Parts: sequence; structure tokens; C-alpha cells
Amino acid sequence: MADRVLKVNAFTTFDLLDASVEGHGFEEGAFATLNVRTAREAPEAITLELELDNTELESVPPHADRVTLSADEARTLATELQTAADRVDATGAD
Amino acid sequence: MPSKVERWKDETYGMEIRDHLLRFAEEGWDAIPEDEHDAWFERFKWWGLYHQRKGQESYFMMRIGTPMGRMTPEQLRTVGEVAKEYATGPVDNPEFGDAYADFTTRQSIQLHWINVEDIADIWDELESVGLSTIQACGDSWRNIVGSPVAGRDADELINVWPVVQELHETFKGNDLYANLPRKWKVAMTGDRRGSGQGDINDLAFEPAVKEIDGEEVAGFNVNVGGGLARKEPRFARDIDVFCRPENATDVAAGLSALFRDYGDREDRFNARIKFLVDEWGPEKVRSVLQEEYVDYELPTAGEDLRDEYDYNAGRADATGDYVGVYDQSDGQNFVGLSVLVGRMAADDVIELANLAEAYGSEMIGLTQRQNVIVGDVADEDLDDFLAEDLLSEYSPDPHPFMRGSIACTGTEYCSLSIVETKNRMVRYARYLRDNVPVPEGVEDFHIHLSGCTASCAQPQIADVSLRGMKTRKDGDAVEAFDVGLGGGLGENPQFADWVKMRIPADEVPGYIANLLETYEDERAGPAESFRDFVADRDEDELAALAEAEETSYEDPYLGNTKMTWYPYAEDTSMDASPAPTDGQGEPLPSDD
Repeated sequence: MADRVLKVNAFTTFDLLDASVEGHGFEEGAFATLNVRTAREAPEAITLELELDNTELESVPPHADRVTLSADEARTLATELQTAADRVDATGAD
Repeated sequence: MPSKVERWKDETYGMEIRDHLLRFAEEGWDAIPEDEHDAWFERFKWWGLYHQRKGQESYFMMRIGTPMGRMTPEQLRTVGEVAKEYATGPVDNPEFGDAYADFTTRQSIQLHWINVEDIADIWDELESVGLSTIQACGDSWRNIVGSPVAGRDADELINVWPVVQELHETFKGNDLYANLPRKWKVAMTGDRRGSGQGDINDLAFEPAVKEIDGEEVAGFNVNVGGGLARKEPRFARDIDVFCRPENATDVAAGLSALFRDYGDREDRFNARIKFLVDEWGPEKVRSVLQEEYVDYELPTAGEDLRDEYDYNAGRADATGDYVGVYDQSDGQNFVGLSVLVGRMAADDVIELANLAEAYGSEMIGLTQRQNVIVGDVADEDLDDFLAEDLLSEYSPDPHPFMRGSIACTGTEYCSLSIVETKNRMVRYARYLRDNVPVPEGVEDFHIHLSGCTASCAQPQIADVSLRGMKTRKDGDAVEAFDVGLGGGLGENPQFADWVKMRIPADEVPGYIANLLETYEDERAGPAESFRDFVADRDEDELAALAEAEETSYEDPYLGNTKMTWYPYAEDTSMDASPAPTDGQGEPLPSDD
């Protein structure tokens, strides 16, 4: 079986998340790691990396996905996540 | 553009770091400017000091490099005394007490809880017996690994000890090779066991014979670019060079200069020479070495001895370590003692040194399987030596599950790890010993437990590879392991196949028990090693070999030890940490 694609250590943003993969005719759930990365030196972009545990998946080959964000895009995402988090918190407070 | 670390190194690196460390020792922890911590901690590594993790500020791990793990009893005693006096922290370890030494997979020694204020005194003590922390870490020639019993082993082609001493003396403290793009790990093997584990080193000298001018010459084949880290494991590649022992220093100088000049200094993730070998191919490494770095014609590779290798090879017909009693070439014996996870209490270190001296031993050896060897025990003394009380704890004939375990440092001290390692591996081994039948014929079973993907416990080359992860159990996040099977070195080195992910740490012993039961039931016979058994099966079969299971094993470290300041403290919360402390261990006032 294939090894993980992403490294996982104490600096990984999330080493344990619930995730799913969906396509035409398949949908599977698995644990996942999610990491925010920037270059050590003079970073110009942010990379979001996601990998679902390949041992749990039959519909897709072992892999990781990456999305590259500009600083503005990362801030937009952060704002939306913040707003969404507030709404979830508000639900919990009801 | 050169990386940040390269810029720090350009400012200050190599031998000169010693003076700065001595200044900080004099002035105290507070004298290290806070905004320069990262730069100084990077530089300190060159002199063998790693800053410990979050919650343990002002404390350092100190590494002492011993070429091929070889020491005198006097040196070992000094290590024990230094550990006892200086390597004690605010809280004892529940398995190992207040002071201990770690024997590492690269035949070095690690001590923890070192205060910078004590550095000068520690160096005085170590250097008075010929030990040093120079280049134990950092971007340069690391400790050279190989068989500690070279020259004594009755089963060797070449005694490499004089060659290794020459390499050590040439490349330690040598400004020409002090600042390499990344670490430079060298292995030299002269025995028939493959005990140098050269396959996982940047530069490997493997024993070989070659006919030159009608004469059969014993020397080395040269392999380059092995290593396990960064989730990019590679075995060292054959560059088709045979090297006489007298040319080893020239070839090593050439290859480390080639790495110095052509290695990647812009991206540390891509800096190890294994990536240069990927890019160039072994043929170009050879041709550049020949054309630019050596001034004699390099012979092509000779005939190797790999089919005889048994060290960590997972063979059914030989144990893959030095544990036990073995013949020396001079008629005496060397005795390999099992040190579970490589950690030995400081008092035991001192007692072992005294014992070795009392029996006339002139050599102590640390092995890459984190064990220790006492050399030079005479036949007539052997029974008495084996009957010594200390050998009931560190046995030359241990239970198979107490024999084959390696563990990295883990969340106890390491910044990268996400799980507790050494104490857990000790508990696993004891549980397996007490509860799980050993398949007939199995004498050693290698479990390598690493706290993250950095591979410090060499998880890819074990019968069972455990690598730290997290999972969810009963609604809570708990420490867990990915599991690999069937890795090992030997004639045909093989990395483990990863077959399970996120097994909760408390279910790993049950998984191993089930796995071994399947192995014993389904193997062709006792002659089929576990490694061969794994190699004969496809992915689906391997995944189906066993399931994880709760047993009577209890795991006290299931929670998130990464978030503690020290996993074994009464109050583990970060706020409860006394760090940073002054040289006497008293907490320093915080800035805020």
C-alpha cells in the first residue's frame, strides 16, 4: 500500500479531520490531514494541502490535493471561515 | 536565493560557534538574544546542542558523537557521570528515573535537560577523556557509523577502525567541510554482516573485493545518496567505484566537496545529496567525482558481499543484531547486551563501565540497534560476566520482544513528534513478552517506533513499522500509529509496505498479537521469515492480515502529549512549565 504523500508532524495544521471524497457514482469518507504551507523564504503564496487516508479509499488512487492562494485569497478564505465559525458558535449558544 | 539558514551559517558557523557557546555559558541563558534564538539554536547544533521543544525553553539535548559507537570503559563512565550531574530535569521519567543516557541509531549518545550554563564544565569532563560533541548535529560530517567491533570481529573482510579514525580526524573540525548544504552521514562497513547499514547513509563504503593488476584487493564499493527522511526514502545508489582502504579519505573528501559545491543551498527540503543523485543519476556523480575531485583513475566497482549481510535483514537463519556472545579474532569474546529503546539509567551506565573495566575490556560499542557491546571478555571469565546482576536488566539473551525495539525521542523532548514514543515502546515490549506467544523459530522481531514522518527511528526498515499519527476513539482524539510491514536491509534492502493507518496506540499490541498469530498459522514454515512472508503477499492480503484490538494493555499516554510541557509531569499543562530556568533550574521571570 502506498505511503502518505504529505509529511505529518507537530507543525501540521490538522492531523485528524473528517473528510469525504465524492465523484460520479462514488462517495467515500476517511480521516484526513490538512496543512497550511508557505515557503520558508520570501513566501509569495499560501498552499493548502489535503490528503485523505488512502487505506480508507477505493475510488481514487493515493494522492494529496493542493490549492494555491494569494495573500488576498487567503484572507478572503479566513474571513469566510471566521464568519462561518461565528454562525456555528451561535448555533451552539442557542 | 540562499535560504535563511544559509545566511545564518554565512555569518557564524563551524568551529567559531564554540566561543559563542562558552560566552553564553558564562553569561547565562538570558544572554542569548530572544530575537536571535532561531539563528543561534541552528548554529549550536554544529557543536552538538539541540534546543528542546516548546514548554522546555532553556533546556538542550546534547549529542556526543562516538565514531562507530566505539568507546573505552573510561569514556562510558564519564558519560554516565556527566548524565548524573548535568542531565536532570524538573521531573523524573517514570520508566527511567532522573538521569539517563540515550544510545542512538547512529551510534551516538544523547543527554537531555542540559543547561547552557553547564556547557563549559561538561566539555571539560568529556574532552578530558577524548569525547566530543563536535559536529554531532548540523550541516557537516556527522558521526561515522559502522561496526564497533571492527578489528575484533572474527567475521570480517577488512578492519575498518584505522580507516574510520583517519576519516574522523580528517573531517572533524576541518573548515573545508564544515559548512555543507545539509547533514552528511557516512557509513563504513568492513564486516560480512552489513552492520554499517550503509544503504541509508549519504555515503556508504561497502566491503568488496576486486582483482587489480592480477592481485585480489579487499576494499569498498562506494554508494551515494541514501536516507530515510522527508518521506522520500532512498537507498544509497551504486556509483560504480571501487576504493582501496588507503584511498577512502580521498574519495570521501571528493564526494563531500562535490556535495558542498553542487548541493542545493536554496531549498533545505531538497538539500540532501540523495536529491542530487536523483537529479544527476549515479553516472554523472561518478564522472564529476572523477573529473573534478580526485586525481587518480577510479576503478570500477568490485564484487560485493551483500549476499552474506544479515544485520537488520529480517532473515530466518540469522539474528539481525549484535546481541549475544560472539567470537573475537583474538580468541576472546564480545558480548552484545540488549538496551530496550536505547535508554540506560546513568547509574547503570557507570556500573556497566566499571564492570567492563573489571573484566579487562578495552572496548564498549554502541550499535545502530540502540544496544551496547562489551568487548574483550576472556573465555574463562565469560560465565562470571554473564552472571552479573546488571545483565539481567541488559540481557545478552533477551526475550525476542525485548530485543528488537527501536524508538525515537518522541514528544518527551522533540519539537516534531506528535506521539509519546520511548516509554510507550517499553510498555509494548513488556506487554508482548508477557502476553503474546512468540512464533516458533523467531529470535528477534524488529519493531521501530517513530513519532512522526521524520523517520528518526528508521521506521521503514523494520518487521513492524510504527509511525505516529492521531485518530478518534470514543469521540476523543488519541495518539495512534500508521503501520508498515516487511522492511529491512540485507542483500536486497526493502522499505516497509504501509498497510494500516491510525491504529489507536492502545490497540497496537492487540494488532501485533493478531498479526503474529496469522504469521505463525499461514507461513510456509519456520524457515519463512516474517519479512519473506510479507514480501509474498499483495496489498490487500497485507491489509487483511490482522485487525487492531483492545487488550489488557493500558496506555497512559493516549491523550495529546504534544500539548503538554512534559508528558510525565503531575500537571502537564503548558502553564505549569518551570521553563525557562536559570543554570540552577530556578524559573526565570517571564517578559509579560
